[in-house]
Amino acid sequence: MSVKIVKISPGFEEIMPKDYKDLVSNGPYGKGFGIKELGTFKELIEEHPLCAGCGLALSKRLILASLPSPENTIIVGTTGCSSLSFSQVALHNIHSIFGNQNAVATGLKRALEIRFPDVIKDVVAIGGDGAIGDIGLGMVMHSWFRGEKFATIMLDNESYANTGGQESGMSQQGAVLNMAPTGKKYNKLPMAEIARDAGCVYSVSVTFAKPKRLEKIIRRAVLIARQLGPTYIQIYCPCPTNYKHKPSESLERARDAEKSGAYPVKEYMSPEAEELIKKLEEGKKC
Amino acid sequence: MYFAAEVDKEKCNGCKLCIFSCPEPNAISFNEDDKKIVIDANRCKNCGLCVVGCPSKAIEIVLL
Repeated sequence: MSVKIVKISPGFEEIMPKDYKDLVSNGPYGKGFGIKELGTFKELIEEHPLCAGCGLALSKRLILASLPSPENTIIVGTTGCSSLSFSQVALHNIHSIFGNQNAVATGLKRALEIRFPDVIKDVVAIGGDGAIGDIGLGMVMHSWFRGEKFATIMLDNESYANTGGQESGMSQQGAVLNMAPTGKKYNKLPMAEIARDAGCVYSVSVTFAKPKRLEKIIRRAVLIARQLGPTYIQIYCPCPTNYKHKPSESLERARDAEKSGAYPVKEYMSPEAEELIKKLEEGKKC
Repeated sequence: MYFAAEVDKEKCNGCKLCIFSCPEPNAISFNEDDKKIVIDANRCKNCGLCVVGCPSKAIEIVLL
């Protein structure tokens, strides 16, 4: 998307909604804003239909605020809770069928490289744990085997929250949900390790308990994906609706999961990625 | 919504931790002039995450 697109056509100034006017006058396009500036600019996401206290909504807000160049980013989304809020995002985004996000992102990235050889266009595939860990695992892993240069972000709420709470491959062992009353019988998928072994140069498992750390990781993942190859991030997003906790406990649950080791923070990177990160973060505190 | 978060301007120290913990976009904005936050009650979903996130206990949920 060119920054020129985000402006009001002459003659339409009066009838455009206030949200759009704010986006034109006070949007983050081309300004290099990060999480630190949140609250002082108009965010890329608008009022969404996700539940109160949704960890997924918070993660998405932080992801969108920490993209290195939002005007040149295209998001590929897929079915699930995460897709409910894509129509409120002021970036180009594509909705693909369930589990297909990485296949669509592959084609998109290759086409963009031919169409815009002199501009760097980032592609970010965002999906839930069902789309990336269960149903789309084949597409996701093959995009990693091929070394496609885009970032994959999993918003892991550990269940199929959109359809009433079935257990997913990413649910913890013993998790009891509405549609899994006897508890899950086998282990959580080790997706960060799978990503590392399948060819991701940078693979992270993280929670949103520390927003600045999350920003650093997302920036790294997008910047590494431009040059080296596939990157993968999974973010723990507590779900108050299906795990039956108070909406206000989402943040504490993320902190507790990190502290108790239920959702450990892991960061794997290849030697080339480590070198590139050193070069990128040289001289500036990140 | 019938309930919304409200900020006590005297206790608020402008650390912005509530903005980082709110799942609702554009609900809490930061006023550069007095370095305090402003909550838009129309966008608030009353989840209480900002109340938990605030270290100086300046925010509470009130009946509108």
